[in-house]
Amino acid sequence: MAAGDKPSATERALQDARDSLDEGFFPLEFFHDEDLHDLEMERIIGQSWVFIGHESEIPEPGDYARRYIGDDTFIFVRDESGEVNLLFDSCRHRGAQVCRAEQGNTSHFRCPYHGWTYKNDGEAAGIPQKSKAFKNLDRSEYGLAHVPRLESYEGLVFASLAEEGPSLDEWLGDFKWYFDVHMKLPEGGMEVIGEPHRWVIDANWKTIADNFNGDSYHTAWAHGSVLDLELGGEETVGHAGTGDSLDRHIHCDGHTTSMRGFEGEDVFLTYPDEVVEDLFTREGLSDAQWQLARQALSFTGAIFPNFGFLHFGDTTDDPEKDVAPFFTIRKWRPLGPDQMELWSWGLAPKNAPEEFKQRMYKMYTANFGPTGNFEQDDVPIWKGITDSASGQFASSQNLQLNYQMGLEWMSEMDIDEEWLGPGFAYSENLEEGGMRLFHEQWYEMLAGNDRTDATGTPINLQEDR
Amino acid sequence: MLAERESQLEALLVEREVEQFLYEEAELLDNRELHEWFDHVADDVNYRMPRRLMRENTSSVFSEQGYYFNEDYGSLKARVERFDSEYAWAERPPTRTRRYVTNVRVTRETEDLTEDELFVESNLLVYLSRGDSDEHTFYSARREDVLRRRGDTFEIADREIRLDQTVLSTDNVSIFL
Repeated sequence: MAAGDKPSATERALQDARDSLDEGFFPLEFFHDEDLHDLEMERIIGQSWVFIGHESEIPEPGDYARRYIGDDTFIFVRDESGEVNLLFDSCRHRGAQVCRAEQGNTSHFRCPYHGWTYKNDGEAAGIPQKSKAFKNLDRSEYGLAHVPRLESYEGLVFASLAEEGPSLDEWLGDFKWYFDVHMKLPEGGMEVIGEPHRWVIDANWKTIADNFNGDSYHTAWAHGSVLDLELGGEETVGHAGTGDSLDRHIHCDGHTTSMRGFEGEDVFLTYPDEVVEDLFTREGLSDAQWQLARQALSFTGAIFPNFGFLHFGDTTDDPEKDVAPFFTIRKWRPLGPDQMELWSWGLAPKNAPEEFKQRMYKMYTANFGPTGNFEQDDVPIWKGITDSASGQFASSQNLQLNYQMGLEWMSEMDIDEEWLGPGFAYSENLEEGGMRLFHEQWYEMLAGNDRTDATGTPINLQEDR
Repeated sequence: MLAERESQLEALLVEREVEQFLYEEAELLDNRELHEWFDHVADDVNYRMPRRLMRENTSSVFSEQGYYFNEDYGSLKARVERFDSEYAWAERPPTRTRRYVTNVRVTRETEDLTEDELFVESNLLVYLSRGDSDEHTFYSARREDVLRRRGDTFEIADREIRLDQTVLSTDNVSIFL
């Protein structure tokens, strides 16, 4: 909290949250609170690296797509020189929006109000009647505003509303080691298929963040219908804690991933042999990264604060058909304490045969996105959590949610000392450390502190990085 | 003159049959008699709902790659059967729906169709309400169907659902349209 500010009731409540978190508790009321939402927008969304889109969505000069950070609207656009920009969608004259389509291709954006016109790199190109009406106005100072910082990692573009702070590279830290496995495995990398699914749901954004930060415990229960129908191999959905497979929860520089795999086997997320043989490359991957990919059946994960991903093998849309993998990334955009917009993209290896890319996209829509056989059942549950948090009872009774799974007094939970990657891995998936890590970072940023990792060490400030 | 009247009358009867079929289909779906509904799906069905895009200067553009549904017989059947599971939480309790099918038009003279197939366009408005909440929402769509005669009824051989929304305002899509 900045010095001199009078603490609000919410901020006072937050002071107690730190103690709760150490015990593995998180107050239910924090899933629906107007004041907290405002603070989250300012101190978390406004200070973090937020996902915007993949460069393959705007391949040609002039290609653009409307994108959002919190409540702000931006134009994600490739300019004539091929550079990717993120421009604030507001005319510098009176503030009107200059882009009203969801996507398209244009060399210029023109304000409908008075006709001020901007090139697709944001530069002001035309001001009607300038020589008479605005003769001393310096056009170069009146371009569309660029987002303060925009950076790209393997085609994934992130932006920050904060002028200063850790670079994207520092923000992702060693977690890139894991994401490299997804993005660099096929020669030519991954690309987005089609356009992202978007849907607005009446749930707090932290509910989905919890889910993607390592909720292996819910899978067999919430997605029992997928198991019943045999729409994925038993291992894909699976029951947490069976120990039949290589199940790890990994924490790395503030981000998390869960994996399921098989030791010493060639699984490669069930990509077909021809894709593995023709496209998968060890170039750019270390031996350990290659070994991880080789043994992996599925990955779930989250990059703090609002980016998630799933890379699953062994799924199908029809029990009579062969299984295939899918890869999806997503963003949860908070719209209010009880509402968010979900954005969800399907990806496939850029250089894979067209038919296989279609099959992967089909696996994605069959399982996730608004119609997905998995996802259909998740979202109403998150809505219910938000509803429970919204009334008097949660706060008047100080109801605390339990995130104690994996804490030392609840179970024997080992760290895998032999783990091949950075960060650290729990040797099984019946634990909720990823969610605690998420809430700890949430707390620290909300309180105006630096993010900390799971051991309490500030992230992004480590001198030796 | 008489021949012309007869052919008009014939067209009217076909339209009436098609409308009755679409109304009955709507009732099966509203009653969540999904297996009975699926009995009217052809085994070579192509059932799809592309993603609507809001591009510059156009009103009705649909993605060629992005979709909500792109189902064949097997994958549609799997979706139907999934709701038999006691773990299909999205529909426990079931969504209450009421489908309004209007503006039904039948065209028989489309090139790709066989003699027993009809090209049918219709508008669809679906009211949805869930749980014990007073909240409700709607899907609005245009449908393009190919209906094939089967005995004294039809089967759905092809359906494209063109939703009017670009951003969905529901938690999920756990019904068929």
